[in-house]
Amino acid sequence: MKFSLLLAAGLPLTSVAGAEEKSGHASAELLCGVSSYQPGETVPVAIRLKIEPGWHSYWINPGIGGMPLKATWTLPDGWKAGELQQPVPKRFMTGDLPGFGYEGEAVFLVDLTPSGDAAGEASLQVKLAWLTCNENSCVPGNAELSLKLPAGDGAANGNAPVIETAAAKIPKSVEHTRAGVTEEDGVVTMRFHMPGDYDFKGSQVFPATPDVMDPAAPIAVKWEGERWSVSAPKSEYADGAAEALDLVFAGGNLKHPVVVCWRGK
Amino acid sequence: MKSNTFLGAVLGAMICSATAYAVEPGDAAPGFTVKNVKGEEVSLADFKDKVVVLEWINYDCPFVKKHYGSGNMPKLQQTYTGKDVVWISVNSSAEGQQGYLPPSDLAARSTKEGNKASQIVLDTDGTVGKAYGAMTTPHMIVIDQDGKVAYNGAIDSKATTEVADIETADSYVSAALDAVLAGEAVETAKTKPYGCGVKYAK
Repeated sequence: MKFSLLLAAGLPLTSVAGAEEKSGHASAELLCGVSSYQPGETVPVAIRLKIEPGWHSYWINPGIGGMPLKATWTLPDGWKAGELQQPVPKRFMTGDLPGFGYEGEAVFLVDLTPSGDAAGEASLQVKLAWLTCNENSCVPGNAELSLKLPAGDGAANGNAPVIETAAAKIPKSVEHTRAGVTEEDGVVTMRFHMPGDYDFKGSQVFPATPDVMDPAAPIAVKWEGERWSVSAPKSEYADGAAEALDLVFAGGNLKHPVVVCWRGK
Repeated sequence: MKSNTFLGAVLGAMICSATAYAVEPGDAAPGFTVKNVKGEEVSLADFKDKVVVLEWINYDCPFVKKHYGSGNMPKLQQTYTGKDVVWISVNSSAEGQQGYLPPSDLAARSTKEGNKASQIVLDTDGTVGKAYGAMTTPHMIVIDQDGKVAYNGAIDSKATTEVADIETADSYVSAALDAVLAGEAVETAKTKPYGCGVKYAK
């Protein structure tokens, strides 16, 4: 009697968290922020990477060496996966190689969108590939994770706070920043105006676009009276003049991390 | 009026470390003499007028595994040594570091991995690696018939550990070798090497 009650209480309506899979020196887990989906409405999903102490994994700009997390989705017909949103990284050195990435835990977010006429239980699958390194070696990790999600009212579930916490660490892009990039004497400088009350004083800066700024160099941030100027030595692996540059700012006086994007012609 | 200058990205230790001297395409290739796995001396000067490839190895690095496990590296070695290119696999792992093997073990492991290089040499003290600024395994250098660096960088364009990416990647090293052998300029002469860091002595 007692047993069956417990069973009934513990019976999940849906598997909103896939099993954690360990590979190399990290484990990965797929979490869904809702208990069901509604056709055409975004389904927030998190990929939680737990990295063993002493090891690190990599950001979208891994620096030199390293490899960013790659996620390949297999979704029902008509479903679309948004970009893999990456939290603000740390800088580190692996031996002599400068890099950007994560220690401990990193939670990546993806928005999945079912088509307007989606129906029935959806199987959401993702194939992950990552790299963990320490001072002595690098070990790749792979996992195939999946979730089953029924159609329903799209109500948030117990994972919603995890996704909310993760979202606070993911840079928000700021529109109308009127950015421009110049190169002079081996130094790349991005200048931009910011709307509203953004103060980058004391913030950390990270170049999200690989091979534009030297990943080993400090980045200088200046307030030029009306606009911000951010400069660093050009990467020795830059392929001609920069065509795009995304800079991530976090910490200091910022309430939320920000990404300022520039695209050339 | 705010006017402040600061370094937004300096963390704890200074990270603008002095990187090893790197050779740029067009530079004279630094000479060296090292021992191969048989204990014989091998000098760059032995290969005057030949095209030479330097390939940094560490068989325990997943990026190196990708190119040996798939047979890609042995195939490149076989193809180009067949065209009179001298291919030298260099192991710069220091003793006690990942990838280090004593000469006879390195020879046996190289056979097992299918290595078809002309020479497999030990650079345990990292002299050659540092002279060329070798950063990763693999890291590829192509030296032309005039003893100048013609290519410095990655083996190909896809910096991953996945074998499936080899087929769709641009093989920078093949393109450089084909150009050099044809007496043409190398279009992409410098790229960012990818892989594990070379395990130099600490």
